[in-house]
Amino acid sequence: MSRYVVTRFLLMIPTLLAVAVLIFLLVRVVPGDIVELRLVSGGTYVTKDVIQAERARLGLNKPIWNQFVDWMVGLVRLDFGVSMWSGDKITHEIAIRLQLSLELAILATIIATVLAIPLGTLAAVRRGTWIDQAVQLFSVAGLAVPSFWLGILMILFFLTYFDWLPPLTFTPLWQNPAANLAQLIWPALAVGYRYSAVAARMTRSAMLEVLREDYIRTAWSKGLNRPVILWRHALRNALLPVTTVIGLEFAFLIGGLVVTEQVFNLNGIGKLIVDAISHRDYTLIQGLMLLVAAGYILANFIVDIVYAWLDPRISYG
Amino acid sequence: MRRNAAWGGAPWRAVALLGLLLALAVGPAGPVGAQQPRSGGTLNYIVEAEPPSFDAHRETTFAMLHPIRPHYNLLVKFDLQNYPKVVGDLAASWTISKDGLTYTFKVRQGVKFHDGSTLTSADVKASYDKIIFPPEGVISARQTTYHMVKTVTAPDPQTVVFQLKFASPGFLENLASPFNWIYKAEILARDPRFYERNIMGTGPFRFGEYVRGSHWAGRRNPDYFVQGRPYLDGYRALFIGSPAAQVAAIRSGQAHMTFRGVAPAQRDELTTSLGDRIVIQEGPWLCNNIVIFNIKKKPFDDIRVRKAVTLGIDRWGGSKALSLIAFLGPVGGIMRPASPFAMKTDELAKLAGYNRNIRAAREEARKLLREAGIPEGFSFTLQNRNVQMPYEPVGVFLVDQWRQIGLNVRHVQSETGPYLANFRAGNFEAGVDFSCDFVDDPDVQLAKFLSADLSAVNYGGYTDRQLDLWYFQQARTSDKAKRAQIVHQFEKRVLSDQIYAIYVLWWARIVPHWRQVRGYKISIAHHLDPDLQDIWLSE
Repeated sequence: MSRYVVTRFLLMIPTLLAVAVLIFLLVRVVPGDIVELRLVSGGTYVTKDVIQAERARLGLNKPIWNQFVDWMVGLVRLDFGVSMWSGDKITHEIAIRLQLSLELAILATIIATVLAIPLGTLAAVRRGTWIDQAVQLFSVAGLAVPSFWLGILMILFFLTYFDWLPPLTFTPLWQNPAANLAQLIWPALAVGYRYSAVAARMTRSAMLEVLREDYIRTAWSKGLNRPVILWRHALRNALLPVTTVIGLEFAFLIGGLVVTEQVFNLNGIGKLIVDAISHRDYTLIQGLMLLVAAGYILANFIVDIVYAWLDPRISYG
Repeated sequence: MRRNAAWGGAPWRAVALLGLLLALAVGPAGPVGAQQPRSGGTLNYIVEAEPPSFDAHRETTFAMLHPIRPHYNLLVKFDLQNYPKVVGDLAASWTISKDGLTYTFKVRQGVKFHDGSTLTSADVKASYDKIIFPPEGVISARQTTYHMVKTVTAPDPQTVVFQLKFASPGFLENLASPFNWIYKAEILARDPRFYERNIMGTGPFRFGEYVRGSHWAGRRNPDYFVQGRPYLDGYRALFIGSPAAQVAAIRSGQAHMTFRGVAPAQRDELTTSLGDRIVIQEGPWLCNNIVIFNIKKKPFDDIRVRKAVTLGIDRWGGSKALSLIAFLGPVGGIMRPASPFAMKTDELAKLAGYNRNIRAAREEARKLLREAGIPEGFSFTLQNRNVQMPYEPVGVFLVDQWRQIGLNVRHVQSETGPYLANFRAGNFEAGVDFSCDFVDDPDVQLAKFLSADLSAVNYGGYTDRQLDLWYFQQARTSDKAKRAQIVHQFEKRVLSDQIYAIYVLWWARIVPHWRQVRGYKISIAHHLDPDLQDIWLSE
């Protein structure tokens, strides 16, 4: 097992390197120039000399291969560089937002898991009954309703009936838990609902499949009691695909909540990615994309480890 | 009976009488008292974007001015209650020599930087040296604006002298640029790029905190040189990009206002939901949308085609209709309508495309297209920015207008990056361009139309030495009438004779704020807001 973990961990390095090369090239293919965006997009008159001087300062006049080597040398030293737009360290830019995005992802995952697993299990166990239909309705509605739209409805409801809006600025959980939750619980609910719908459907279908297995029939024939069969034998095996869904969704939530973050005005990683792209902030885009890629790779890695824990048949020896 | 029972009896009558007497006693003073500025409170306002750096000398965006301007002072500034009057900010007084070549400023005494050190004329000189003669490796976005300046000197600690190469009538107004913050000389000598990442000014507010992506906060400067100012204890600039989120923030009371302004739909939503709790200030805006042509590409290399295109637009009708849905309004030329150098309406009507008889104008447009050998019209792509307000309504309006003279237009909206890249690379046929300035001065507004080798934002790619000549002539002409004449010649050549560009409509500013925000008056440019020195909260 430990050998597997080390091998998988080392395999992350070439994967990230390939991602780095791809990102570096892709961002430079997209038309647009950070210097013009910064100095001209306000509609003000700026001379060509000023634009050239700024391009030189940012190193954009160097050949592409040279820029790539500079970036790689920085990465080897764990120096992600500075944002071309703000001049701030990229690690700092990300750190400011990562706390909010991680907390939101964790909250949404908790909400989704707490809702999805019991509901999916219940729907499978009570297949064909009104309970099953109600859970299916809940899931389909969750899939059909975009989380940002649910967020807009929440905001309109609060504004119309309470003249209230979740706080616009982030307060860390340990500083003021009430203010923190007042801001994040609503987007977490909006996102968690859609997320739970995906996971509930997956739980239901996985449970239905497992409940038809011979070993479950054997368990019933042995006279094992219902909770033991359902929780210990059925659900544990059914959770394998659900774990994959939850893992991938979690990774997605770190950087993929662009619109929901805009609706709730959250200062998260998703908004930062959009800002970086619209500013053509190459160094920041590169740093962020590496983070997102690393998040996905890590989530997959953790899911694989959890597989082994859930299913003793799986061995990585 | 019931009424008498409720209000009857001697004690109630006595209370009522006392109340009446009190009301009479304080009545006349009441409203005046309510208008007396009150100290305290924190102003929360929205800024639609974030500052790229903190150095006003190198940046050009309001996103840097709105959150950071309250930390600084200028040498002179516009009196926003009486624009375009220029008043002293750090300058106590000034004199201008008879030949207009020497501007001598006396700097206020007792002004302190936020670190406690005293401001002297050396700080003003160092700041302007950085703007006009930036050292190697330092960007100054307004270096060329001050091409008339020969030297800046500080003969004594209270005096700054600007020596000009030639008399420039708009020089004082240009000095009042909201970007010309006064920095500390000692810091600039040590590190000319210090101000890109740090704050050290003399302004009414000291730096509080900056959480990137979230907000910028300032707190009252107790040692501010203006007695009793600022009124506010502090301010918080909230970075909110989405228009819907901006309205929600104001509706909920988490933000008092946004200085840049909103669209009519947002204004109406706020008015409907907040009633008399919200105040809407509206006024002209020194911003506009222009159509530019790539005159190297067919058929826009033919002046008859460009003329047909401008004749096809019903600006006057468009102004009425679009002002209902977008922050668009006045019809004008290169100089803002009703500004000191603007063409009068009858003069304007003589330019191609400004005649109110749109039917005749469109007939002439069709005739020109026939003469140009394209009687059936032609197809082209209009590049536009994917910023909803006001670019999208402008683009849709133009497509409709040109359809009426037989032109088939493909409207392509791109993100600002590719949009500018296409302009710069000449990869466009026609495009919706824009300009925004802080002062009505021909030096500023005409600069865009200088030949391509002189102007980085002349995306049309033309070279017109006549325009260059007139530009530099007007910049040196002190006589206002003569200068206006040259400016109008310039406008006529750009808009009507050569038609390098088409002015569609000027913008109209709508600023909503909660009723308790006092001491604010809308200005012609969002760049001029806010130093927050005089703003106060009544509740």
